[in-house]
Amino acid sequence: MNVEITGLTRRFGRTMAVAGVDLRAGPGVFGLLGPNGAGKTSLLRIMATAIPPTSGRLRLLGRDPRSHTPRREIRRRLGYLPQNLGYSGGFTVAEFVEYFALLKEMPAARIPLAVAAAVDRVGLGDRSKARLRTLSGGMLRRVGIAQAIVNDPELLLLDEPTAGLDPEQRMTFRALLRDLGQHATIVVSTHLVEDVGAACAQVALMDQGKIIFHGTPGELTARGAGHDTGDAPLERGYSAVLAAARP
Amino acid sequence: MTATSAPARSAPVTSRPGLSTARLLRLELRHNAMLWMMPVAVALFWVTAGRKIMATPPLWSLRAANMRLSAVLAFASPVAGAAAWMGLRESRRRTIDLVNITARPRPARLFATWAATTCWALVAYLACVGVVYGVTAQQATWGGPLWWPAVAAGAALPALTALGFAAGTLVPSRFTAPLVALAAFFVLALSTQLINGSQSYWQVSPIVAWPWELGPDPGVGTFYAYLPDLPIAQVMFLAGLTVAVLGALALPTGAGARSVRRSAVAVTAAGLLAAGTAVALAGTGRLNAHGMIAIPALHDAASDRPLRYTPVCGHTAIPVCLNPAYASYLPATEAALTPVLGQIAGLPGAPARISQAAATYRQEPGNSVGIGLTGPATSGSPPVFRMILPAQLPGPATTASEQASQVRSTIGPSIVASVTGDGPGASRAQHAVTTALLMDARVVPRHLLAPGTPVARNSAPGSALAGGRYVAPPPGSPVFAAAKRFAALPASVRRAWLTRHLAALRAGHIRLGQLP
Repeated sequence: MNVEITGLTRRFGRTMAVAGVDLRAGPGVFGLLGPNGAGKTSLLRIMATAIPPTSGRLRLLGRDPRSHTPRREIRRRLGYLPQNLGYSGGFTVAEFVEYFALLKEMPAARIPLAVAAAVDRVGLGDRSKARLRTLSGGMLRRVGIAQAIVNDPELLLLDEPTAGLDPEQRMTFRALLRDLGQHATIVVSTHLVEDVGAACAQVALMDQGKIIFHGTPGELTARGAGHDTGDAPLERGYSAVLAAARP
Repeated sequence: MTATSAPARSAPVTSRPGLSTARLLRLELRHNAMLWMMPVAVALFWVTAGRKIMATPPLWSLRAANMRLSAVLAFASPVAGAAAWMGLRESRRRTIDLVNITARPRPARLFATWAATTCWALVAYLACVGVVYGVTAQQATWGGPLWWPAVAAGAALPALTALGFAAGTLVPSRFTAPLVALAAFFVLALSTQLINGSQSYWQVSPIVAWPWELGPDPGVGTFYAYLPDLPIAQVMFLAGLTVAVLGALALPTGAGARSVRRSAVAVTAAGLLAAGTAVALAGTGRLNAHGMIAIPALHDAASDRPLRYTPVCGHTAIPVCLNPAYASYLPATEAALTPVLGQIAGLPGAPARISQAAATYRQEPGNSVGIGLTGPATSGSPPVFRMILPAQLPGPATTASEQASQVRSTIGPSIVASVTGDGPGASRAQHAVTTALLMDARVVPRHLLAPGTPVARNSAPGSALAGGRYVAPPPGSPVFAAAKRFAALPASVRRAWLTRHLAALRAGHIRLGQLP
């Protein structure tokens, strides 16, 4: 298992953002669904080693991130796309991706090819010399994905990766996810249930810091039978699970 | 996006740190705010100081000292401000999460950004040094670049960038960069206000290039080698400060492994120790006889030996010889002294040569410094009159005609007085003869003197003039009348009388009434 989480909590002041999450994920694409404020981003940030958990046990790629050396090893094998991608507008696409390849301590000799491959995979090969400030929101999102995958990560954490992408790009992105998921564990946090249905083998639904559903997209769809909220079967399953979990 | 062009998977391998760091530095160099602030810093330097420096006499010591002060002050705000801006980058661009979860330790990442900022600051500074020293090399008649002042000023830049960068990193606010820019300038500018005498800890300030109470001193480093004692202490202080600040950046929890934090603590402590030691050393400095700050623990006695040079001499009745660094002053000095030298050339006891000498400095109570010659103005056999040119003393720069006027009015009377024996305790006859010769040489106007007007000042202790100043006798006084009468004699008569009676006059055996 690349992700093993047991009894994980994270508190911000009085707010319990993650309230006792148990999760295990191996290679493949794992969808993390939930309404705003459900705790998806906090859980992803914990998995990305950006913030430590308040309590609970976390093992990533078979290592304990609390210690420095294993954490560094995890980070070398990690890709992360935050919800809001920060960037310096003066960087070109290739420079931005190269910058993160260097920070991820990739072997210097491999970086040029890896950068070119990552930029190509997100469809920005012809814009690799464009400055970030000249790109559209969707293109910036793809640059963010490129920096996340440049090190060919074993654990890829994507927070709202398809926000801002047009339908064609989203379809291509799902194909990319499926391809990457053959070897790596990919955790995708999203509002868009159709992304989950199209790309994810496993899905978890979070609400109020807890996982209230864990299964396959098909199982989630099945939960929606007879439920009338939502346009698509998966949406109906999503709404049904949420409604059942709430008093 | 394509799902088919994935590179072959391979296990992550640790990168070669050198090459990766070089690539990271290259990226940081390309995207650094200091790159845009370089023209601002250079323009500030040039507008506030560059042209003034170029207008000063082409003496290495003067140009180096002025350049150092001006460069540090001109660069302080843009450099510290840009560094703070770069320190703010991760919080400003909201990339903290993204970069903090990468494998490269935070201190290494921050160091690359700081190093790039510092590189550009140094490039801009070196460009200014290159221009000032390049032009000076074309204009100077002797000597070579003084590197220690340039190094000490250069060492201020990494310290400024480290402080600015640390402020930006630790206090991420939109006001940080402008406040840092302002603070850098004012702290530096005010750092010298507390200097009192030559034994002040505040001399460690990077803008102190000379004994602060003296101001830029053209004579320093000309007759004696430039003393690196104070610059060494300053470089030590600035390097220590830089290391301590950079070490402190690696201290926060989460900055890296325990070993990294332990190293950071050690580095910070070492930096503070070096900086503290440097401050203590600066406090032991003292003004030496050659106008520089000597620090006993850093002092090399070999630096006290005079520099060897071949003087440049003119062709006046009595040759005037100057240090080759002052060769450009020779024509004006000769022109200013020719009338006086014509009066005394060939007389018994007249100097065979007028030679420029090094000034001697003495720290006096408070911020006062005494400057003058050591020993009598005239010495040796044949006698040589030693003089200090006004141009080798600290003070505002003057034009060529002002220099000539000062030479005529200060050195001229001293030379004449050294021949007549005028000075403290001299007779009225000696004073009258001195005045007469100066009148004939047009150094003392015959009719326009107000009573007691000092027309000359001699800064050489032990010279013949009373109180170091030549004071013309009041018109109407017996001395003035005798001087006027003696000056009115035909030159040949006066010269013949002096040839016969100069020895007696010098011995004080001639009374006022015995003058023709």
